[in-house]
Amino acid sequence: MARWELLATVVEHRRHAPNQYELILHAPPIAETVQPGQFVLVRPLDTHAPLLRRPYSVLRANPDKGVISLFYSVQGVFTEQLSLKPVGSTIRVLGPLGNWFQRVSGVNRHILVAGGFGAPPLCFFAMRLAPTLKAAERIVILAGARSRDLLVGLDEFRALGAEVHVATEDGSHGYPGLVTDLLIESLKDPTPAAVYACGPNAMLKVVSQACKARGVPCFVSVDVPIPCGVGACLGCAVRVAMPDGGQWFRRACVEGPVFRGEEVVWE
Amino acid sequence: MNITPDLRVQLGPLSLPNPVLAASGTFGYGLEYADLVNLSMLGGVVVKSLTLSPRAGNPPPRVVETPAGMLNAIGLQNEGVETFIREILPRLREYGVPIIASVAGETVEEFCAVAERLGGASGIVALELNLSCPNQARGGIEFGVDPQQTAAVVGAVRARCSLPLIAKLSPNVTDIVPIAQAAWQAGADALSLINSLWGLAVDVQTRQFRLANRTGGLTGAAIKPIALYHVWRVHQALPEVPLIGIGGIMSWEDAVEFLLVGASAVQVGTANFVQPTICLQILQGLQRYLTEQGIAGVQSLIGSVQDNG
Repeated sequence: MARWELLATVVEHRRHAPNQYELILHAPPIAETVQPGQFVLVRPLDTHAPLLRRPYSVLRANPDKGVISLFYSVQGVFTEQLSLKPVGSTIRVLGPLGNWFQRVSGVNRHILVAGGFGAPPLCFFAMRLAPTLKAAERIVILAGARSRDLLVGLDEFRALGAEVHVATEDGSHGYPGLVTDLLIESLKDPTPAAVYACGPNAMLKVVSQACKARGVPCFVSVDVPIPCGVGACLGCAVRVAMPDGGQWFRRACVEGPVFRGEEVVWE
Repeated sequence: MNITPDLRVQLGPLSLPNPVLAASGTFGYGLEYADLVNLSMLGGVVVKSLTLSPRAGNPPPRVVETPAGMLNAIGLQNEGVETFIREILPRLREYGVPIIASVAGETVEEFCAVAERLGGASGIVALELNLSCPNQARGGIEFGVDPQQTAAVVGAVRARCSLPLIAKLSPNVTDIVPIAQAAWQAGADALSLINSLWGLAVDVQTRQFRLANRTGGLTGAAIKPIALYHVWRVHQALPEVPLIGIGGIMSWEDAVEFLLVGASAVQVGTANFVQPTICLQILQGLQRYLTEQGIAGVQSLIGSVQDNG
């Protein structure tokens, strides 16, 4: 899989909500090859603090225009630096990195479970999945967050004609409670389904266990720090169960970030 | 008239095409970066530390960013020396870069066994002994914090392997000079200074250690002044010992600082994560600096720092 380390030009910071933006970058080779679930490592400035690049899943890619979008929320020094990059300036981008979500065949429901800021790669996946659906197939979105203002991508999901269900922990929108409650309810429907999830690891753990209990194929994109992105530092290790009954660590940046739910040994 | 500066360096019996190497643990086995970096232009690649058997490493979280640095507690995860020799080394050899194998062990015997296997493999130019490994016989205290334990590892490996030996020293000591001296007298051909510094970080919201291992090794720009200090001190005390400077090198200027205080070569570590092409950028910067300063070769920079005032 080819990847590039390049200077990408800032095209736009598109506002989604207060403090939440879609950063559109001109990075043609990445736009042409990136798959849903893959990520890039970005570095807005040559500073020593923050020092490391940060990983961002791609929210959408337009190969014709040579652009990719990354979703960010301004929460600290790094994202503030990112937000202050003027249109026309450049930032360093390494990618596309990691593996990606692949559609499961032979199922009628593709259930995408999006936890808070974990939604972007699932938006991208839904965009690529929607045009390929057969008549009996549909996309079901289960989106959850602590509160209404932390829900991401609902407009994008609805624009695709997906069935969207929302949960918020404070009850400010949709079902009052955890998005995993919606999943457990949804899995009672015997229609063959596959689950694709991204969000906090605590959510992914419950998603994986619920799917395993029902024998439903489940793919999760894990939430871990990723220092190098190329498999060199082993800092992004995820504990997995091996076929021989033992355990080993896999790299979220190379063998992940998407893992089969049942292979991850949750910490 | 511009003369292309001579970048070759000599560390005892070890000749390298230039003084910029990738540090162990930060460059994988080199292959991870092969599509992004022209490996053949590097002074060398020090591969991730190898143990006798495969090691799973520590539970996550293994890394956390800190001001101008990062803490890591990887726990020596590696495929083991046999898999390295059989599956990885033949592929890395094709790139034509000097390969230095980092040797780790929990006992003197394990260091020797790994070194012996590597000594019999072709295409390795030197061994670097990772003396920051926990010493099983001493309750997990690093070998490198004690002159006698340091000498025990270096001397034992020296007796069983003819490759040039580099001892990589720990900075987590009261005085690094006696340890450097012990490693040198036990037969090391060169010393790498420094390995990471012990540190920790706490999440005040969860009131938990940020690393699963609680403590980790601090690396990155934050440690450069400390690394420079150790290199300078050892060079003052033991001017005849070839040194490789490591610690927070982020730019060519940083690399030149290390050469000026007495390092004959440098290893670039954490900076590889920040900018995969950084080693080659440092090499280009060094070449430009030598040309602009009218210095014929990198050798004449080594240890040439002057007093200020």
